Amino acid sequence: MSKQIYTVLIGGKAGEGIKKAAQVIAHLAIIHNNHVFQTDDYQSLIKGGHNFSVVSMSQQRLHNTYKSPDLVISFDKRSVQRHEAELSPGGLHFCDEADAESEKQIPLPITKLVKQHYPEGGNMSLASIAIFCALMRIPEQHMKDTISREFKRNLNENVSFAVEIYRLTSNMSLELGFKLSLEQQIPAKLYTGNQLIALGAWAAGLDCYFSYPMTPASSILHYLALKRDKLAVSAVHTESELAAINMAVGACFAGKRAAVGSSGGGFALMQEAFSMAGMVEAPLLCILSSRPGPATGVSTFTAQEDLYFALNQGHGEFPRIVASPDCFERAFTLASELLNLAWASQSPAILLTEKHLSESATNVKLPVDDLEDFFTPISDSEDYQRYQITDSGVSPLKFPGKGNCSDSDVIKWNTNEHLESGVRTDAAAAIVRMKDKRNRKQHTINELSKKYKRVEVYGNGESIIFAYGSTALELREAMKYHSFRLVVPVYLEPFPEEELAEYRGKSVIVVEHSSQPNFARFLKEKLEIKVKANILRYDGRHYSADELVEAIREAENA
Amino acid sequence: MRSLISKKENTWCVGCGNFGIFSAVRKCLQKMVEEGHALEDIVMTSGIGCHGKIFDYLDISGLYGLHGRAVATAQGIKLANPKLRVISFGGDGDSLGEGLEHTLFAAKRNMDVTLILHNNGNYGLTTGQASPLSNLGYKGLSTPQGNVEKPFNAVTLLMEAGATFVARGYSAKIDHLADILHKAVMHKGFSFVEVLQPCVSYLNTYQLFNQHTALLPETPADTETARKLARDPQTYYLGVFREEQHRVYHEEVLSSTAVMNPSQRKQYLKDFQ
Repeated sequence: MSKQIYTVLIGGKAGEGIKKAAQVIAHLAIIHNNHVFQTDDYQSLIKGGHNFSVVSMSQQRLHNTYKSPDLVISFDKRSVQRHEAELSPGGLHFCDEADAESEKQIPLPITKLVKQHYPEGGNMSLASIAIFCALMRIPEQHMKDTISREFKRNLNENVSFAVEIYRLTSNMSLELGFKLSLEQQIPAKLYTGNQLIALGAWAAGLDCYFSYPMTPASSILHYLALKRDKLAVSAVHTESELAAINMAVGACFAGKRAAVGSSGGGFALMQEAFSMAGMVEAPLLCILSSRPGPATGVSTFTAQEDLYFALNQGHGEFPRIVASPDCFERAFTLASELLNLAWASQSPAILLTEKHLSESATNVKLPVDDLEDFFTPISDSEDYQRYQITDSGVSPLKFPGKGNCSDSDVIKWNTNEHLESGVRTDAAAAIVRMKDKRNRKQHTINELSKKYKRVEVYGNGESIIFAYGSTALELREAMKYHSFRLVVPVYLEPFPEEELAEYRGKSVIVVEHSSQPNFARFLKEKLEIKVKANILRYDGRHYSADELVEAIREAENA
Repeated sequence: MRSLISKKENTWCVGCGNFGIFSAVRKCLQKMVEEGHALEDIVMTSGIGCHGKIFDYLDISGLYGLHGRAVATAQGIKLANPKLRVISFGGDGDSLGEGLEHTLFAAKRNMDVTLILHNNGNYGLTTGQASPLSNLGYKGLSTPQGNVEKPFNAVTLLMEAGATFVARGYSAKIDHLADILHKAVMHKGFSFVEVLQPCVSYLNTYQLFNQHTALLPETPADTETARKLARDPQTYYLGVFREEQHRVYHEEVLSSTAVMNPSQRKQYLKDFQ
C-alpha cells in the first residue's frame, strides 16, 4: 500500500543546519508537486541541545506536520534515542555509524566522510538532503544543482560529500511506498506565517516596521530588513520595544503606514504606547506572536495564553481591533485587512498569532486578487482640526511636510485629553465629547469589518468545535480522519456576533493552547455557549492529527 | 509671519525659565522662516512635565508624546519623512530618567533630530521631586533626607553617547539661546541643547546662574577640553561644546528604492510567486 502522506524528521544539535536542510527538502518536495508543511522544534540556544525539524509532504493540502515520521535522519545519539520510538511502521532511520544503537537504524559513515571531504568543519546536515534525494529517486544532477544553489560556502566540498552519501543510499535500493511527483500543479513557494504577515501588511502599504527581536516574532523583522530595497520598506531594529512603538506612532503622525511586532513580553512593555495609539488615534498595526508565558516563559514554543491580554492591550478606554489568522493564506490577507482597517478607523489593531503559525512553513499561493486597494483620504480643509467631532468618530487626516499643508495648518496629536484642535484640556464637557467621539469608532469599526471574512467554518460534522488562530490548522488536519464542524472566529474584537448567532447557547467543544480555558470563557461571555468539553494543551507543542482525534472522541463520548 | 503663540492660557509660574525657552524657540523659528524654511515642515514632540506645556503654547504641528518617549517619537517622524525638521522638547526627568535609553540611542545613531532639554534640576510638575540632574543633597518630597545620587552631567553624557552637536544655554540669555537653538536645528545629525532653567517654585537658581555662567569663547577643539569645560565646578559654561559632521542614520538605513503604489505592490507579489 502506498502512503498518502510522507514525513521526514531531521534531528541533531543546534547549529548543525538542520532547519535549513529541512527547508531544502520541503522545497524539493514542492517542486515535485507535493504540498508540504514544515515545523521546527528548537530550543533557545545557538549550539548544542536538541533540535529537530519535520517536513510532511502529500499530494493533498496539508495543515500540519505528522508526529510519526517515515524517515528519520539523526545527527547525534540523542536524536537516535529520542526519535526511534516515534518512527512509523516500516519507517527508515538513518544515523552516523557511531551513533547507531540497534539494527533498527541504518548506519552511514557521515562523520568519517565529513572529515574526508572537508579540510576543516563541514556541513553534516547536507547528508539529510542527499539521503532524501536518493530515496525519492531525485536525479543526482538535480541534487547537485540544488546544493550548489542553496549552500554556496565550500561549494565543491558540499557537492562531493553529498554525492557520496547519495550513492551510498541509492545502492541500498530501499523501498519507501511513497512517490514524489504528480501531474497537478500546486502552489510552488514555501512561506512561513511570519513572511506572509509581512507581505500581507506590505501589500496594504506598509512603509516602516519597528521592532526589537523577540521569538517568535523576530523573523518578521529579519524578512523585511532583508527585503528593504526590493520592497522599498524600512525595518528598524530599535533599542527596545518601547522605542519601537513610540517611533511607529511618530511614523503614523508623519503619514506612513507603520507596524510593530513582538511576543507577549514585548507587548507588556508596549502597553502604555498602545494606549497612546488609542488616544492620539494612530492607525497602528501590531503583530503579537505568542509563546508560553508568563514572563520569559518558554521562548521557542507555541501557546495561546495572550487572548485576554490582546483584547485588553493598553490602559484606558478606546476601541481596539483584534483578529487572529486561522491559516497561512489568512495570515497574508488579515495583515492586509487589519492595516487597512486601522487606517480607516484610526485605531490600533492587533494581529494575534502563535509560534505554530509564525514559524511553521507551507506552500501557498498568495491570494493577491483578494486584496483591496489601499487609499488614505487627506483633508483639504483650510481650518483643519485634528480631532474634529464626527458621527463616525473618525476625524479627517492631514500630514505635515507632504506639500498639502499651508503655514497656518497646525496638526496636533496629543496623548493628553484634548480639544478638537489637539490642544490639551481637562474641561469636563470636552472630556466627555472626546471620549464619546472615540467610543463611536467602535460601531464604525464593527461596520467596516463586516466586509471581511470574520468567521470561517470548516466541515459539517455533528460536533461543533470552536478554536481560533493556528489551532484551526491542527483541527483541519484532524478533520481528515474524524468528522466535525469547526467554527473559527477570525475577528475577536469586534466580535462577529451576527455571523455566530446560530451558535448562541449551543453545546460545543473548545480547543485551545492554554492551561486555563480562556477562549471558552470568552465564548461563554459573548455567545452564552455551553462548553461540553475543554481540550487544553499547554506543553508548548502543537497537536498532531491523531492526538486531536483521540481527544475529540474522548470529549464526544464524555 | 503669523504668530507662533496659541490661544491656550499659559499656566507656567510667573518667572519660570520656560518662558525664556519659549521666547528663544520662537526667535529661532522666526529666523528659519526668514531664511525660507516652511513652518509646515517643522514639527515638534514633547514629553510630559512642565516643559511639555510648550506643545500647547507653541502654534506649530507636533505630537505631545508619552513621558520619556518623545525622543523616540521624534525619531519615528524623521524616519517616516526625512524632509521634516523635528524638534523634541524634554525635561530632565523625562529625557534622562524615564526615557534615557531613547536619548542615548538617538545620539548613538546620529539621528537627525534636535533635543532641547529643559533642565530645571527637579520634577516641577509633580511638585519638585529629585530628578536625574538634581544635585547631591537636594531635598524634595521623595528625598526629604536629601538626594543621595550624584547627578548626570547632561553635556558630557551626550558627548559620550555620540551626539554630533552638543550645546548648553541659559533660559535667561534668550538671544544667545535662540542662536544656539538655530544652530542645533540646522545641524545635520543629532543635536542636543541643555538649557539651564530656574524653577521658581522648587529650585530657584537665577542668582546662581546669573553669577556663575560664562560664554565659551569658542567651540572647544577636542572632546577632552569640552568635557573639562562642561564639568567645571565653578562656572556653567554656555555655548557649543561640540559640532561635528558624521553620517546620519536615516540616510544609511532607509531604502532608496521608490515606494510602490497599491497596484505596483500587487503586481510585484504576483510576479514574486
